Amino acid sequence: MTVVVNTRDDFTLANFRRVCYAGEPARLGSQARRAMTLGVKQKPAVGPRGQRTAHRAWWAAPGVDFGGGHLEGAVVRGILFARLASLVSGHAGVRPAVADRVAALLDGPMPRVPLDGQAGTGESRQMAHVLAGLRRDGLHEGEEEALLGGAPCSAALVADTAISARHRLEHAEAICALSIEGFRAPLGPYDEALDDLWGDTHETAALRALRRHLDGAGTVDRRFHQAPVSYRIIPRVLGQVHRAVAAVEKAAAVSLRSVTTDVVYVSDGLGRPAGRAVRNGGYHNGMVYPALNALSAAWADLALVAERQVTALNTAETSGLPVNLAAAGASGNGTYAYGWAANSYVEEARAAATPALLPSVAESPHADISSPTFSAYGRERRAAECLDGVMAILAIVASQALFVTGRNPAQPLWPVLSFVRSVFPPIEGTGERDLSAEGGRLQHALGAAARSAELYPR
Amino acid sequence: MTVVVNSRDDFTLENYRRVAIGGESVAIGPKARRAIAEGRANFLRLLESDRTQFIYGVTSNFGPRAKITIPPGQQRARARALGFRGKWARGFGGGYLDERVVRGILFARLANFVAGNSKARPVVAKRLAALLDGPLPQVPLDGEVGAGEVLPMMHVLSGFGRDDLEEGDANPLANGSPVSAALAADTALQARHRLDHAEQIFALSAEAFGAPLDSHDSALDDLWGDEDEASALAVLRRYLEGAVAKGRRAAAPASYLVLGRVLGQAHRAVAGVEEAARVSLRSVTDNPVYVPPDDGHPLGRALSTGGFHNAMTYPALNALTAAWADLALLSQRHVTALSTAGLSAPPARDSAASAQVSGAPADATTGLEPVLTGLVDEARAAAMPTLLPAAVNDPQDDVSSPAFSAYRRQARAAECLDGALAVLAAEASQALFTAGRQPAPPLQDLLRKMRAIFPPVEGRPHDLGPRAESLAAALTQSTVTGSAPFDGSR
Repeated sequence: MTVVVNTRDDFTLANFRRVCYAGEPARLGSQARRAMTLGVKQKPAVGPRGQRTAHRAWWAAPGVDFGGGHLEGAVVRGILFARLASLVSGHAGVRPAVADRVAALLDGPMPRVPLDGQAGTGESRQMAHVLAGLRRDGLHEGEEEALLGGAPCSAALVADTAISARHRLEHAEAICALSIEGFRAPLGPYDEALDDLWGDTHETAALRALRRHLDGAGTVDRRFHQAPVSYRIIPRVLGQVHRAVAAVEKAAAVSLRSVTTDVVYVSDGLGRPAGRAVRNGGYHNGMVYPALNALSAAWADLALVAERQVTALNTAETSGLPVNLAAAGASGNGTYAYGWAANSYVEEARAAATPALLPSVAESPHADISSPTFSAYGRERRAAECLDGVMAILAIVASQALFVTGRNPAQPLWPVLSFVRSVFPPIEGTGERDLSAEGGRLQHALGAAARSAELYPR
Repeated sequence: MTVVVNSRDDFTLENYRRVAIGGESVAIGPKARRAIAEGRANFLRLLESDRTQFIYGVTSNFGPRAKITIPPGQQRARARALGFRGKWARGFGGGYLDERVVRGILFARLANFVAGNSKARPVVAKRLAALLDGPLPQVPLDGEVGAGEVLPMMHVLSGFGRDDLEEGDANPLANGSPVSAALAADTALQARHRLDHAEQIFALSAEAFGAPLDSHDSALDDLWGDEDEASALAVLRRYLEGAVAKGRRAAAPASYLVLGRVLGQAHRAVAGVEEAARVSLRSVTDNPVYVPPDDGHPLGRALSTGGFHNAMTYPALNALTAAWADLALLSQRHVTALSTAGLSAPPARDSAASAQVSGAPADATTGLEPVLTGLVDEARAAAMPTLLPAAVNDPQDDVSSPAFSAYRRQARAAECLDGALAVLAAEASQALFTAGRQPAPPLQDLLRKMRAIFPPVEGRPHDLGPRAESLAAALTQSTVTGSAPFDGSR
């Protein structure tokens, strides 16, 4: 299949997913060609370029940046896709033939874009890497700047994050529900009455998700008194994650369809659709890095609460469950040491939650504000990876709690439990197992499922 | 005047402002009194149906001893024995909450009662509202982080008459998260004003620099397609209406071109705090919460919940703090641009006479620029996020609320931003003065007010620091009162 783009409204998260992850090509539609042709015909001369003439130098010699690994090829595809959004409406003054060249890059191998060294004014340096394979012969006045300028990297990074974040949140909710079942926590803290009493849409979404997973959960065998705070506040903590994910999704939806080139051509008093050149700061995406910061912090907080639940499950005095959740006849250590491992993930996640602010270093008197999106993206990925580690441990420990007490969770959680046990069977007997490697496999499975959405058959 | 509260919908930001800042009293309206009485009667029916059932704090002990039940015959006596100050208040140091916030906490606390979810008697709500009419206690800023908000509430309630408390009266007073609601509301009210002041001062800077106007063009509203950025662009256009187009520079540093997008993020952050305040003020958050009778539960239910943990306020405050830090950096960049000969001239430097080594005229800058480095650095330090505290009190109270920490960091970042904006205003004023120009008409009142405190620098005055401090203080004061920037008259 091919994604045909005609207007900015075609730059959706769904189409982003098709182009980036499914590897579909993208082509300009006829409506886009007409808009672009009209825009080019009626655009005025650009005038002085000011500081942004640095574009050409970067394109001529990309590669001064290095280190930190490289962007995934799928994300580089996303940047190319996002680049087209600024072109299709004709506001960038770029000819359809040039946009065709950009789209054609999606048919070939993706260039390598280093992750380090990418904080600068706008995103031209990164775009010089992304467009390294683009034919540059015959470009017209202003087209080079339009291709390199703007903020398509921010759009792609946030779209990539948004898609994973929604799935990661859904999987976390399922594992938290499994933990509630493992602990035999009372169900009152997830009651429907709280939807209105708290009155927050995101907390309501979290409450509903938990209730859905816990539908049919037994009420007889639960503890009579209230559970530790980490169990009672989990809907509110997950509600904050919902809020952070929604903000990232919104930033993606807005950024993907934005026209952000340094100069845009808009209608003038004479009725020409592209009769006036407007220089602007569109190349600085001001919403993506704060949204990524907030998501990193939400992952870190969720990791901490999950770690507290691991501790509660592992502590017999708190949970009333067997010591260290050790099965009869097995080593007495049970799942105890996983609590320690969880600590390290939590601390790493908290370190990654340090926000990316506007960089304090100015490149030059004119290029005096830089974009920290790449930093924020890298930190979110690290925080998410650490959350996956803690969630893997919580799933292991909750599964073990159910195993050693011979219980089943609520029926909606059976597929989750089955998935967890397919990667990490309960610890029983005295057989030799590499529990570290098995835990790592579960963490990686959660990470992969965040991208694919397929944690278990639905 | 008195704010009459009848339902949770009366817990608005506007009513919060009237009570907390305007000093108005609160009265429990007739509808709320009926709801509270009805809720109390229903709760007592539930309690009397089985005094061995688990109802946190009523038939059980508190905190880590929650699993220890209280024999039915002792439950009334236990309720009466509850004390607030002597037994629980522990935090100290770090200064104190402003009295307006303490008033705000008491106001927010009442949202728990008015719909009949509190379990408490009507007299308890009435007595709580009456605290607003007397002297208010001091609430230390340090040492208030624990599970929920019991620690600060014990200070807030230190003057509450508690000799006749009955079963179910105490928890709705001390449990829940009214502190987060008040901290969010207090911040939200100031943040909207602070943002507006920042926009005016950045517009003044754009005028002083002679920055091109098209980076705020209305066409960008749609092309960028974001409501918050559109708001910022619209505000900048409003303040720059009538600005002279002739003689402006064709290009400007990025810090001028990206104004709409950076301010757009500040709009988003302010809206986030406002939303947190709106939701939190009308939430019922205490533990346990009484849910009225329904078909499946003819006596209603007393649910143990995690409502006491407000999870939206501290992230919203974090985001605002980061936005302030970014605006402080932007202020510093503008001051640098205005102070750098060759960047801003023309038009800001045309009329200046003598030149310093740098090439800038002797009276072209205020000399305040170095101050900004420290202010920006402090704001960035304050923007380190407040996360869920790592420390654990006990196995039961295993997650704490960091709202106090987030509130203080936001306040610190805001203070630094006010200082940075004051310096930017002074620098922009100076640039206009040396160029003999006036800004766009909507900015002229701002310029007049700030010059009344910080006149253009001529010669080598020795009191620039104190004058700049006065300017920053006036800006902060106008943020609290909601008056025009640098105008403390309201």
